[in-house]
Amino acid sequence: METTSMNLKVTPRRVNDETQALDLEGEVDVYTAPLLRQEIMDQVDAGVKHLLVNLEKVEYLDSTGLGILIGGVKRLKEQDGSLKLVGPSARITRIFEITGLNKIFDVYGTEADAIAAASK
Amino acid sequence: MATEDDMPSSANSGGAPRSEETATVTLTIPCTPEYVGTARLTILGVASRMGFSYDQVEDIRLAVGEACTNAIERAATSGAVGPMITIRSHIDPARLTVEVEDHATGPAGSGVDKLRPAAEIDGMNSQELGALLMEILVDEVTVEPAPGGGTRVRLVKFANEA
Repeated sequence: METTSMNLKVTPRRVNDETQALDLEGEVDVYTAPLLRQEIMDQVDAGVKHLLVNLEKVEYLDSTGLGILIGGVKRLKEQDGSLKLVGPSARITRIFEITGLNKIFDVYGTEADAIAAASK
Repeated sequence: MATEDDMPSSANSGGAPRSEETATVTLTIPCTPEYVGTARLTILGVASRMGFSYDQVEDIRLAVGEACTNAIERAATSGAVGPMITIRSHIDPARLTVEVEDHATGPAGSGVDKLRPAAEIDGMNSQELGALLMEILVDEVTVEPAPGGGTRVRLVKFANEA
């Protein structure tokens, strides 16, 4: 029996010529966060301009995960790109608000919204 | 995992009314990232006995996860021998108290952060975020030295009004 309840799955997906998405599923904590970090770094190294991190299926996100997302935002900005977060749950949205990270992250309800914003 | 019930609880399904239970649940896990999820599951079980709302239980789970993560980092940077973390949770009608105790010998946050690559923005890194989250998500946070070396973090969440 495969359980993913305490694990993390990260699936890269091409959105368009400039944009890749990472579909996350599961929990992001000190154990699983290195996988997310590696996937973000792989995208950065591949020269991706815009990265969408899809949080719709993320059940848990702690400070380790937040730190990695912050690092990803910085790295993408350094290469004139962007890292946007898509579809966080109400719970994770609240964590962004509590920590003030809602001012640092670009968060969108849906991927369509994120893509529309990028093309402005 | 040891459970001692001082007062046998009557059937308390659904969990909305404030519980009158008193119990202590202790979990000892290896001080490695793999087991923080296990600690979170145990705390979920314990907190659910107290009639907290879904959001409150999630807050507690995150706070305990942060405390465990800090313990793992202290052990990683200090190379403590035989590192285990003990998570002692006590429920009573007034409050849930969770003590996360490690036996690492390095000071909190010391050394190169292997587990959390530096990611600072506006001067706040993930360790500071973790401390901030704990402060906000539970009612009381106390950090003190543990007997015999190491650190004990105590988190307290007051029970809801009856």
